[in-house]
Amino acid sequence: MIKIENLVHNYTIWKDENTKSEKTVLDGISLDIPSGQFVAILGPNGSGKSTLARHLNVLLLPDEGTVWIDGKNTQAKERLYEIRSRVGMVFQNPDNQIVGTSVEEDVAFGPENKNVEPEKIRRIVEDVLRKVRLWEKRKTPPSKLSGGQKQRLATADALAGLPECLVLDEPTAMLDPSSRKEVINIVKELNQKEGMTIILITHHTDEVVDADRIILMKDGKIIGDDIPKKIFADRSLLKRAKMDIPPVVELGMRLKKQKIGLDEPVLHEQEMIRKITELYRSKCGGWKDAAR
Amino acid sequence: MIRDITIGRYYDSESVIHRMDPRTKLMGVLVYIISLFLVKNVCWYIGCLIVMLVLYKAAGVPFGYLLKGLRGILLLLCFTFLFRMLYTPGDPLIQVWIFTITKQGILKAVQMTARIALMISGASLLSYTSTPKELADGLEKAFSGLEKTGIPVHEMAVIVMIAFRFIPIMLEELNVLMDAQAARGAKFEDGNILEKCKGVMTLLLPLFLLTVRRSSDLAMAMEARGYTGSGKTSRMYPLVYKKEDRAGYLAILIYISVFIIARISSLSF
Repeated sequence: MIKIENLVHNYTIWKDENTKSEKTVLDGISLDIPSGQFVAILGPNGSGKSTLARHLNVLLLPDEGTVWIDGKNTQAKERLYEIRSRVGMVFQNPDNQIVGTSVEEDVAFGPENKNVEPEKIRRIVEDVLRKVRLWEKRKTPPSKLSGGQKQRLATADALAGLPECLVLDEPTAMLDPSSRKEVINIVKELNQKEGMTIILITHHTDEVVDADRIILMKDGKIIGDDIPKKIFADRSLLKRAKMDIPPVVELGMRLKKQKIGLDEPVLHEQEMIRKITELYRSKCGGWKDAAR
Repeated sequence: MIRDITIGRYYDSESVIHRMDPRTKLMGVLVYIISLFLVKNVCWYIGCLIVMLVLYKAAGVPFGYLLKGLRGILLLLCFTFLFRMLYTPGDPLIQVWIFTITKQGILKAVQMTARIALMISGASLLSYTSTPKELADGLEKAFSGLEKTGIPVHEMAVIVMIAFRFIPIMLEELNVLMDAQAARGAKFEDGNILEKCKGVMTLLLPLFLLTVRRSSDLAMAMEARGYTGSGKTSRMYPLVYKKEDRAGYLAILIYISVFIIARISSLSF
């Protein structure tokens, strides 16, 4: 789906009016993301993850190296809109990406500008609004929505372009915990039910435990690329990327330190509860003792 | 004061007027405003007022909303009335110190004030009964002929729509800014006019900066959604004239005819 080879991106920084310098934000990134994968990109501020996201939607072009979307080089200017329609994008601030004055108008904005027939626009709008569970709110002005609903609307906007891949650039950074869950659940659903390729950029580690793959970035380089279990087992790596360890994983690690046998990192609360009860049963003789 | 702005506030209801094509309504408002300038006699304004009230009733918009729309321009109305009354020469009625109130003055004052008030309530009715998107689409379609002369009608319609979308956001931002500045000891209510103006500057500057940043973000989001700003576009709900619109145009025609006939035969204007 997406293939990146040795991608370099520099920003020009103006120190004052005359002297400028270049800052390398992406320093030789190579990636291969197959269709249908749920990839999470983690990294501290300024690690280049947002810049990387903008390359996937051809909002930026590489200074060096190549990005292929669906086998098409993003440098090909004449196919820009064709490539861009393959990848939907959700940004951090929901208010800054909503155009319409009602939910359905906003979703229709993309297809309308692509000159899709009215009949088909209405079908797309209903379909994507049902997917993000906002169909009942279709006539509501965006200013009356909650943060989580706005971000779901932004997701619907991206989906209305009928992409095969969805890039979410810190979609939950401005949301409260319950809204965060709403958005992340929708994203997971899209991945599981629709088989959509998801690239989720975030710095909340608890959101990515269900990802197929985690990419850790720092200073424009990839410093880790593996399945969540492996990534979360490597404490020094996480520390290097300035990432918090999710509380459940932390608990598991501490238990391990106390030589209470949890061999591999546990990523989910439910799993942790199950494992601990199992351990307790096997070592301390079961529930009857506990009751006493 | 800022909360009294009614333009751009949609009043949701299922009336004939809501169902009408925005182009019909735009035409209606235009004709109504022209009619206000055709007449001079005060009695005719009562007629115009009755028409307006009937339309509000038909649209199912409470009369309270009519007054709400006028509250924002109350100051303007008062000034218009006062100055028209005091500075129109004619037969003096009352004389107090250096001010003379004339008969013509009072008539002129009532006339001007009524004109402005009715104009605003007509325009408010338009925005109560059509969503900003409908208005933008209506304007775009009504002026689409101008596209050939090089006037970017479609772009202007998009700008209008985004402007409407930004009104509530900017109001919200303004409230946050006011609170933030007030928390740091800024006073917006006290002091003389000069101090008040300075206070407003501390609000306008950050608001302006935030808006510029927001626009740049929005531009990127629009680009990401495939907006090119050119090429053919379509609509989710294309505008088509319906039965109501034919009736609407007929009503507009009859309405303006009455005024024109009255004007030509110079009945008591």
